[in-house]
Amino acid sequence: MSTILLGGIYALVAVGLTLIFGVMRVVNFAHGEYLMLGMYLAYWAFTALALDPNLVLVIALPLFFLIGLLTYVLVMRGVIHASHNVQIFTTFALSILLQNVALVAFSGDFRYVRPWELYVVIRAAGATFNLSQVVAFLIAMVLTVALFAFMKWTHTGRVMRATAQDRDAATLMGIDTDRVYRITFAIGIAAVGAAGVLVAPLYAVYPTAGLQFVLLAYVVVVLGGLGDMVGAMLGSLIVAAVEVAGSYLVGAAWKEIFYFILFILVLVFRPAGLFGQRGAETLGV
Amino acid sequence: MLGLLAHRRGAVIFFGVAALVPVVVRDAFFLDSLVLILLWGSLSAAWNVAGGYAGQVSIGHAAFFGIGAYSAALMVTRFGRNPWLGMLLGVALSLLAGLVIGFLSNRLRGPYFALSTIAFSQVLLIAVSRWRGFTAGAEGIPVPFRPGFATLGLGHVAWVYMALGVAVLYYLVAVYLERSRLGLQLAGVREDEDAAEAIGVASRRLKVVAVAASAGLTSVCGSLWAQYVGFVDPAYVFSVDLSVRFALNTIIGGTGTALGPYLGSMLITTVETYLRAQFSGLKTGFTGIYLILYGAVLIIVVRFFPEGLAGVAHRWRATRLSRARAVGAAGSV
Repeated sequence: MSTILLGGIYALVAVGLTLIFGVMRVVNFAHGEYLMLGMYLAYWAFTALALDPNLVLVIALPLFFLIGLLTYVLVMRGVIHASHNVQIFTTFALSILLQNVALVAFSGDFRYVRPWELYVVIRAAGATFNLSQVVAFLIAMVLTVALFAFMKWTHTGRVMRATAQDRDAATLMGIDTDRVYRITFAIGIAAVGAAGVLVAPLYAVYPTAGLQFVLLAYVVVVLGGLGDMVGAMLGSLIVAAVEVAGSYLVGAAWKEIFYFILFILVLVFRPAGLFGQRGAETLGV
Repeated sequence: MLGLLAHRRGAVIFFGVAALVPVVVRDAFFLDSLVLILLWGSLSAAWNVAGGYAGQVSIGHAAFFGIGAYSAALMVTRFGRNPWLGMLLGVALSLLAGLVIGFLSNRLRGPYFALSTIAFSQVLLIAVSRWRGFTAGAEGIPVPFRPGFATLGLGHVAWVYMALGVAVLYYLVAVYLERSRLGLQLAGVREDEDAAEAIGVASRRLKVVAVAASAGLTSVCGSLWAQYVGFVDPAYVFSVDLSVRFALNTIIGGTGTALGPYLGSMLITTVETYLRAQFSGLKTGFTGIYLILYGAVLIIVVRFFPEGLAGVAHRWRATRLSRARAVGAAGSV
């Protein structure tokens, strides 16, 4: 049960990452930093304005969409056609920059968001968890499903999928790829920002809080096949299951080592993901 | 030989100045900065063997640094042997780890390779942090200072020459990679693996060898660093930040150039030391300001000068040379 709750939140982080990769062919190494910013948004809204994190989402989604747009226009647009290495280090530099903006602005202290939901304990199916976890999971699921629906049924979603499949062909069909990348990046960042707001009550908020999530998100995304959104969903369930099983078997301290080993094994033996097409990794796509 | 020296004027000046500084300057702070510049430069040069010359861009090189640092520290504290033995052990372990990583992630390119190296360094980070009984876990290990060359308990001046020796050695490795058949083959693999494969270059084997060699070189510096600083802890020596640092020094200086990693290290270490000194004692957040600038500058450098300092200097010299030739040609008419 707690597996599924965890998995839902990982999914929202991972879906944004995999969407950006699928369409733009860029691994966003700064993804975790937007999650961290989302956590700070929830923290300040809660501390200064006594706003519940779940209400903050209403502001967070459009706000992070805008932040994503801005990041794309200022930083990503210039390197979208550059080599992989340029892209990798651009997003790394972005990550250093954002982490330290947070450090200067908010200091390195650990901060906590404690809304009332956190104290409502639910017992079901032999497990104990709090309302905050459940609500975070439910909202994460709704957002993820909404994103799926958007990709599947709207015109913009179709255009994005077409660009993901073949950049050049999409351009030849008259698709404005720059606009597609802009929207893709903004949606991906909105998703991870929302995830940040949702997890704020569950974890400590500090400038490098994003790192642990983003490392996990890589594992999830590679498991599911980079760029594959359904794969990301399944991947997040697998990672959550490995995490929970690992904590039972060898204790919480060693559990992380399991998913990194799983990660390396998948990269080595099924680099295109458990469900993906073979051969994607050698193209570097 | 003389021709080579004339051709490598920049390097001669760089290493020459570094060698003369301890003769003139006795200020411990200044010498400390110089040791760090040379050590970070050597580490970046080691990264450059895989990341620059072979195009295997790793973001997990802290793993090999950590292996070196921990081998030396544990050899001294747990087994009571000298750190040189630890360094040897570290190199052996890193070569092995490099071979395994290089072999396993052989097929992977671009972001996939980078991700697999991150994962590898994370596995080591977790293992060393949790294996309390042997590695002292997250608390880290203080490495005792025992004066003498055998125990690597050196003074500041001696450390400068030690680091300089390593730096020159690694520079020569890079020069070899630029001039030898092996280096040209590596460049071929980096630029177009399929084409290189087609003309008979054993690309897979070459990539594995490059990663392993780079790992071994990194490990040596890790051992030296542990002895120099006198403290190792897993959160630092295996951090992603450190891996990124090796790569970024190189990128700012010039990827795939022999002197680039040292130029990058000089620039970044100097600016960092200066700003740290400026803001120490004030609110800790001020170190963050330096890193904000660092991030911003990096984004600009990577985008507009992806060939780095060495590349920009090279281009500038090339245009000056061609202009001089044009003038000469006009004069002779």
